[in-house]
Amino acid sequence: MRDDYSSKLGYGLKWAYLLSIVGALLAPVFHIVYISFNEHGFSARIYEFTTDWYRVVLGDIMLVASLKWTFYLALSAVLTAVPMGLLAAKLYKRTQHKVAFVTLMLAPLFVPADIMASSLLVFFRNANGVFELLGEALGWEWLTHWFELGFLTALIGQILYTLPYAFVIILITMSRYHPQQTEAARGCGATGWQAFCQVEFPQIRAGVFSACAFVVILSFNEATRTALLKGGFDTFANVLVSQMLNVGMSGESYAMAGIMSIVAITVIGGFLIYTLIQSGRLERVARAKADPLMSS
Amino acid sequence: MANMPNIAVEVTDLAKSYGSVVALKSVSFRIDSGRYFVLLGPSGCGKTTLLRLIGGFIRPTRGRILLHGRDVTDLPPNKRPTSMVFQSFALFPHMTVTKNVGYGLRLRKLPTSEVLARVDDMLDMVGLEGLGDRLPHELSGGQQQRVQLARSLVLETDILLLDEPLAALDAKLHKSMCIELKRIQEKVGITFVHVTHNQEEAMTVADDLAIIDNGELVETGRTIDLYENPLRRFTADFIGENNIFDGRVSRIDGVEATIDLGYDTVTANSRGQAVRVGDDASISVRSERLQIFDRDGKVEDSFYYLPATHMETVYLGLTTSEIVTLPDGKEVVVRRLSDGVENAGFSRGAVIRIGWRKADGRLHTS
Repeated sequence: MRDDYSSKLGYGLKWAYLLSIVGALLAPVFHIVYISFNEHGFSARIYEFTTDWYRVVLGDIMLVASLKWTFYLALSAVLTAVPMGLLAAKLYKRTQHKVAFVTLMLAPLFVPADIMASSLLVFFRNANGVFELLGEALGWEWLTHWFELGFLTALIGQILYTLPYAFVIILITMSRYHPQQTEAARGCGATGWQAFCQVEFPQIRAGVFSACAFVVILSFNEATRTALLKGGFDTFANVLVSQMLNVGMSGESYAMAGIMSIVAITVIGGFLIYTLIQSGRLERVARAKADPLMSS
Repeated sequence: MANMPNIAVEVTDLAKSYGSVVALKSVSFRIDSGRYFVLLGPSGCGKTTLLRLIGGFIRPTRGRILLHGRDVTDLPPNKRPTSMVFQSFALFPHMTVTKNVGYGLRLRKLPTSEVLARVDDMLDMVGLEGLGDRLPHELSGGQQQRVQLARSLVLETDILLLDEPLAALDAKLHKSMCIELKRIQEKVGITFVHVTHNQEEAMTVADDLAIIDNGELVETGRTIDLYENPLRRFTADFIGENNIFDGRVSRIDGVEATIDLGYDTVTANSRGQAVRVGDDASISVRSERLQIFDRDGKVEDSFYYLPATHMETVYLGLTTSEIVTLPDGKEVVVRRLSDGVENAGFSRGAVIRIGWRKADGRLHTS
């Protein structure tokens, strides 16, 4: 509570409201995870805890392969979209045309996934044609096949999807950073890169890591774009969706959904816990320095 | 002419524009080594732009910058022999005081023991001993500013740039920090280039002053010279409490120029300025050089007198200001040391004379 006049009841009610909203949002996710550990599946009256469904999923070579492709795609998306988002955020801070810039960066968010995917599909087909003609004309075979449907095209789709989020998350953290600190570092003899690594990045890394986590989660759960752009491999989400459409929800499907939910919750939950512990520790240290006799 | 080795900063025809906006027009001046040099001017006049150009944080549109004879115009900040203290505490919040102050030394890859020793010495010098483990947000405003100062001084650069370093401090702290800065500059002996809009701050610390207005260098010189004998009207208006009487040159007699104020004429030494009959000109007199006289009192040949009407007495503690109006309605301030008497014996509306010694009037033609 912020002041002595705040009502304890009001304070408690606010927290209860917040937790109930969060609970309502997360309840379906936890329910899926709960079912995925039931030997008898969904709607069974008897609940027997088992990890068998997970063993089936993780024993399925095709599913494990799709999990690997999903992981590679997520990792590649993080390694490309997050640095691009960081550069875009830095450019946004410096440009005078902020409205136009942010509109362009966030525009992909307003394009439905299927429209984006089919547009990219057409674009890649046409680009392939152009590069093939160029390759034939120049005799450079390496120019061809660049945009054939595969990992690269799926990755481009992921980047277009996740880049706006990475940009916004990093920008929010960057808003607390004062560019004068970079100038101060330069004045102390630092190069631009040193000033970034030693002064700026430590202060925005929470945003950068949050962006990484977000990109992983988005990438892990993305199905529509990947379905159209992936070519000859499958991602975990694609397999799950395909199973749901063709076979319906099975024990394996719940286990697969459980894996995806557990990954997301673990990443976010881990982050939250780390942040809480860090801020609690810093607060104790600050109290100890300010009032060493009174603090404990 | 070759650059003298004792010139710390030399700026030649320096200008900066942002598109159609001219932040700094052509500026040229020199700063001698070891001097406390202040760039003084109103907000938005271009003094911070000029400081940042010297520091290398922005590129000039035109002109050259030489530091100790070396052309640094195209060099970035980390390659110049300068360090900077910023207005809004550009300390690194994730580093302790020790790490903040030692940052530049660590960049030079000095041994840790040497870094710590130099940091400790510098913290002692700025009065922050024992606070090395604190984080910036755990310090007061004055302490944070001292950390910035320590971080810049520990690098032992030749030139320290200060961008309104005291602007965020309260009045009492402001005063003590002014004196502290002066003391430190005299102790370390390097060149300080300090930007401020605060006249009192400038007068307290500066050996030399440059007055900047609207992107132009108005006047430069020793502090005492600019205060006692400003050449430009703007300088007289900006520094000290001066009364300025505007008029037109009606007569020239050798080096003496007579200014017709409309209701009276006064004469002043042209001080080497080019003057022609008919030119607009003004006379400035510092408020503490003016005196109030009875309307029908004695007339001395060494004084000029103007008729006036007494309006108000303002008691300010150390000084008392008498506000009077001239026949053209202009308000004039006459300042004196308070002598325990609430007013000078004149009631509101009393017709009086104001006067000043002829030598105290300064002519301004621009």
